[in-house]
Amino acid sequence: MAEAAKGGLSLTGLTKRFGGVVAVDDIDLEIQRGEFLTLLGPSGSGKTTLLMMIAGFLDISAGDILLDGASIKTVPAEKRNFGMVFQGYALFPHMTVRQNVGYALDVRGRPKAEIEARVDEMLELVQLQDFGHRKPGQLSGGQQQRVALARALCFAPPVLLLDEPLGALDKKLRIEVQDQLKDIHRRVGTTFIYVTHDQEEALSMSDRIVIMQNGRIEQLGTPTELYERPRTRFAAGFLGKSNFLDLDDGTYALRPEKIDLAPAGRINGAARLSGTISDITYFGAMRKYMVAVEGRQPIEVDVDAWRNPHELQQGQAVDLAWADHAAVRLDES
Amino acid sequence: MRPGLFAKLNVVGAWLALLFLVLPALIAIPVSLTPKRFLSMPKGEYSLRHFETLFTSPEWLSSFAQSGIIAASTALLATSLGTLCAIGLWRVTSRYTEVVRAFLLLPLIIPQIISAMVFYRLLVPMGLIDSYPGLILAHTVLATPLVLITVSASLANFDPKLEQASRNLGAPSWVTMRRVILPSIKPGVVAGALFAFILSWDEIVVTLFISKFTVYTLPRRMWNGIRENTDPTVAAAAVVLIGVTLLAFVIYALLARRRAQMAVAEE
Repeated sequence: MAEAAKGGLSLTGLTKRFGGVVAVDDIDLEIQRGEFLTLLGPSGSGKTTLLMMIAGFLDISAGDILLDGASIKTVPAEKRNFGMVFQGYALFPHMTVRQNVGYALDVRGRPKAEIEARVDEMLELVQLQDFGHRKPGQLSGGQQQRVALARALCFAPPVLLLDEPLGALDKKLRIEVQDQLKDIHRRVGTTFIYVTHDQEEALSMSDRIVIMQNGRIEQLGTPTELYERPRTRFAAGFLGKSNFLDLDDGTYALRPEKIDLAPAGRINGAARLSGTISDITYFGAMRKYMVAVEGRQPIEVDVDAWRNPHELQQGQAVDLAWADHAAVRLDES
Repeated sequence: MRPGLFAKLNVVGAWLALLFLVLPALIAIPVSLTPKRFLSMPKGEYSLRHFETLFTSPEWLSSFAQSGIIAASTALLATSLGTLCAIGLWRVTSRYTEVVRAFLLLPLIIPQIISAMVFYRLLVPMGLIDSYPGLILAHTVLATPLVLITVSASLANFDPKLEQASRNLGAPSWVTMRRVILPSIKPGVVAGALFAFILSWDEIVVTLFISKFTVYTLPRRMWNGIRENTDPTVAAAAVVLIGVTLLAFVIYALLARRRAQMAVAEE
């Protein structure tokens, strides 16, 4: 089912103003065909506005959108041929699952036999073969999510836009659906542009992540690049957790799981900081220690729960150590 | 827990208010069964002779048919116009939308007697006085705001993402309207059509001004019947009129209940 002959998008100087408010601010972005790109940011960061402009539901204030080199700025939403999975799915409640999935081909006037065959293919892709004649209201949240996906992919769009598609699912189901989504992306080869505020979703599925804040791109890169080498305090804090250390030559970000923790005087190598444990929280797989260090913000240290040889106690004096490359110097002050 | 004194008073008050509203209309029922030749309460004897007159007299039958045609045409026209209006106002969001909406609701607010005079002045030069088109036009103007209200209420619950989804899947706006928007707001459209039908079905004020000999609707014949003689056929007609109106509301209530049950089933 390789359908990725096209689907490369270029955004150039893309801007959206609502009155005096700039929601999307002069964004340049190259999206490769077949890529799984995630727009990650808190609410109000402009990620959904950006997606709505790509979908054609919002006018562009300035800049341009190119699909495989051709501007689509003036192409209305119904002619863009982009699939979209909406937040809350937006399935047509009065139609059956089959009618929902086949809708795009039906309004394009394709022959019945072709539609039926394609709908069968799509329902198989999302493993809902036996649910074709149900109404969306008779399906669970996860099933509705898959119908929305099948409906959006049915007409083989070059680009699929996903607006927080897992937001309504509970956590366990979400992880399951993430794997399915990744698998489906591999099989159809369509460009996926995925909007979320959930950093775990972004890390586990994306080829590249765009971290957005205040309508701008804060940082762009692969999940590993962004996690290992965040450039700004915001990027370090939004994708994963970080301690921030103000040293003489600038601010450093330090991931809690990269810090070594031992009772005072018993640490391997040179202790970099010393303090006392102010709080311990148990999460099953790991323990979170909050260490109060004089003259600094409390430092969080995450340790795999099974590696806790010292039986550290609250109030105990501890030393902290980490490898040189663990602390990443940030661009800003 | 036993209901308090206030709750009891409340229930009694509600029943009194209901009786106060409904009883006068129900007087028509015994009166229509009187065996006498004039409007009177029957004393021990009942007769269906006035219903017989009603359903055999060519004048009354013709009035039924005329009222039916006018009400059905009004319902059709007002529903189309009101639905389009509501969708238009829903889609165009500007600061003037509410002003336009208020303006469109004016026919409901203006006293009917004034509307009647206006229609008279308007229809005379157009040559539409005392004609089907004239009456249908006037009733449509009065009924369209009702449709606008019911359809707008349905649209308020309509998820605009469904429209976006339809467009995103490649449907031109008229296809989106026919296949996604209209099915979703059908309850409001049906309710609007019923209200429009009922409004035209028992409209008298405007009708008196703009009809004369050719068009003789049911309410008009009743009005004349009471004014010129005290024929109890009027009471029989009133019973039928109430019956039809009730029937329309029962249909509406049944539809609403089925919808609610379906919504619950889908949860």
